[in-house]
Amino acid sequence: MKLHDLQKTFAEALVLPKSFAEDAKWRARGETAFTGNDRVTPIGQLDIYREQFWIRHVNCLREDFPVLVALVGDEKFEAIVRDYLEVFPPKKFQLRHLGENLADFLATRDDQLLADLARVEWAFIDAFDAPDAQPLDPSSISAISEDDWPNARLVLHPSLQLLRLAHPANEMRDAWWSDKDKRPIERAERKPTHVVVFRHKDLLLYTEVMETLPFEMLSLLASGKSLGAAGDDLAASSGRGEEIESSIGSWFTRWSGLGWISRVVL
Amino acid sequence: MKFREQHRIPDLGIGVGFRPKHAKDVLEAGGSKDVAWYEIVSENYMVGGGRLLENLERLRASYSVIPHGVCMSIGAVEELDEDYLARLKKLVRAIDPPYFTDHLCFCKASGLDLHDLLPLPHTKEAIEHLVPRIRHVQQTIEKPFALENVSSYLAYNSSEMTEWELISEIAEKADCGILLDVNNVYVSAFNHGFDAEKFIDGIPADRVVQIHLAGHTDKGTYLLDTHSDHVKDEVWSLYQRAIRRTGAVSTLVEWDEQIPAFDVLAKEAALAKKHREEALR
Repeated sequence: MKLHDLQKTFAEALVLPKSFAEDAKWRARGETAFTGNDRVTPIGQLDIYREQFWIRHVNCLREDFPVLVALVGDEKFEAIVRDYLEVFPPKKFQLRHLGENLADFLATRDDQLLADLARVEWAFIDAFDAPDAQPLDPSSISAISEDDWPNARLVLHPSLQLLRLAHPANEMRDAWWSDKDKRPIERAERKPTHVVVFRHKDLLLYTEVMETLPFEMLSLLASGKSLGAAGDDLAASSGRGEEIESSIGSWFTRWSGLGWISRVVL
Repeated sequence: MKFREQHRIPDLGIGVGFRPKHAKDVLEAGGSKDVAWYEIVSENYMVGGGRLLENLERLRASYSVIPHGVCMSIGAVEELDEDYLARLKKLVRAIDPPYFTDHLCFCKASGLDLHDLLPLPHTKEAIEHLVPRIRHVQQTIEKPFALENVSSYLAYNSSEMTEWELISEIAEKADCGILLDVNNVYVSAFNHGFDAEKFIDGIPADRVVQIHLAGHTDKGTYLLDTHSDHVKDEVWSLYQRAIRRTGAVSTLVEWDEQIPAFDVLAKEAALAKKHREEALR
């Protein structure tokens, strides 16, 4: 068997969810390609790699989503992963990316709390190793004139993860991580929640629960809008223009204090 | 001139894999007198920033660090991933090690990344495929490159030579180094019924830049390379045989599953030191 055909066989075989060792077609393919020995049949040899493929990938996601595992149980989590990998098979070289579509995948199913929880857990993964950035240098903004501020754009710290949740899944995560006994986790009731997960300059990860208005403003700024355009858009959609105008200064101070703003560009 | 001499590959002594679990023991509590250097999994550090890169910088400040990849997929029929190589080059430049390593295997197929070290058939076709790719990698990264023999659980009907013949021919033609994993030799020898000592004796000793040691798991009908236990006695014996042939080369103890406390790992490193000294006496 040539390299190309052989590698294609691996790709086809390893992602199969169940053992093919007893399947007549696969047995025939195995006898063509592999030697086998007096302990393991030719196709049984390939099946070892299939088994390891699932163990490795399920365990990887178990490590990345421990609170989700705690909520649904080990068996259901494994079933979710098997369904997930059928839709999103691994295509990136770093296992670190394996779960990047899990929240979106879960959002297509019935239980939206699971999607929210996956979103929160994944935000921690992304914030953990996002690029570094210097915090805002106060002297860099002293030169900006009042007239220029509406045109200013904020460059946010790359670790910032802005989460718009239907449930306070962040509270479930916090409760599980702080419980030394790891007791069964309780489901959160539905309640729209806005959370920012971020890495501070101490390299530890934090969450900040936000009110709707500043969260929406931050989201608009994160999308690249200038302060003026973001304020106008938000005023139009919320009808709370005066509140935005009177609060923007304190929001800016709070965000830069948390290290969320790296630069202000004109 | 011999490979190690030509590339001034140093003997670093005994090292262990640096794992986040041991960061405090190594970076804050001073590590162990029995651990002279550390190996990192390259891909874990090909990230934007944060704690991992900060730890790496601190590790580098005190120890020699060798980047060891698990995802290059040098044997895949798919094109080499140039983005991967660019990121690896950036990491290697930051560490400035005497060499870097990966595995003689494939990980990708049909657009999927299977995240395993999948064995190649021992064929002329494989050699012709691998040699230019290894040369390309070595030229791109601008450091000596060494490839590790993998543990395998299957053998191909199409193989035309032994694994050690394959490795030797590839290393000579591509002019690269060899990372000799003695535990992998033992595991594959058991699984395929060949003589592990013949493998050790058949490898060009001057190209071995490093030796790996690890524990494995007996699954009844085959051995699995789990890196989850102490090095077995039979593997220590093979190690002594290997290092008598190669002379003093850097040796690494791997422990990646059910990772023990740092002092347990350091004791395993001390044991490796003892075996090495005995063999080289």
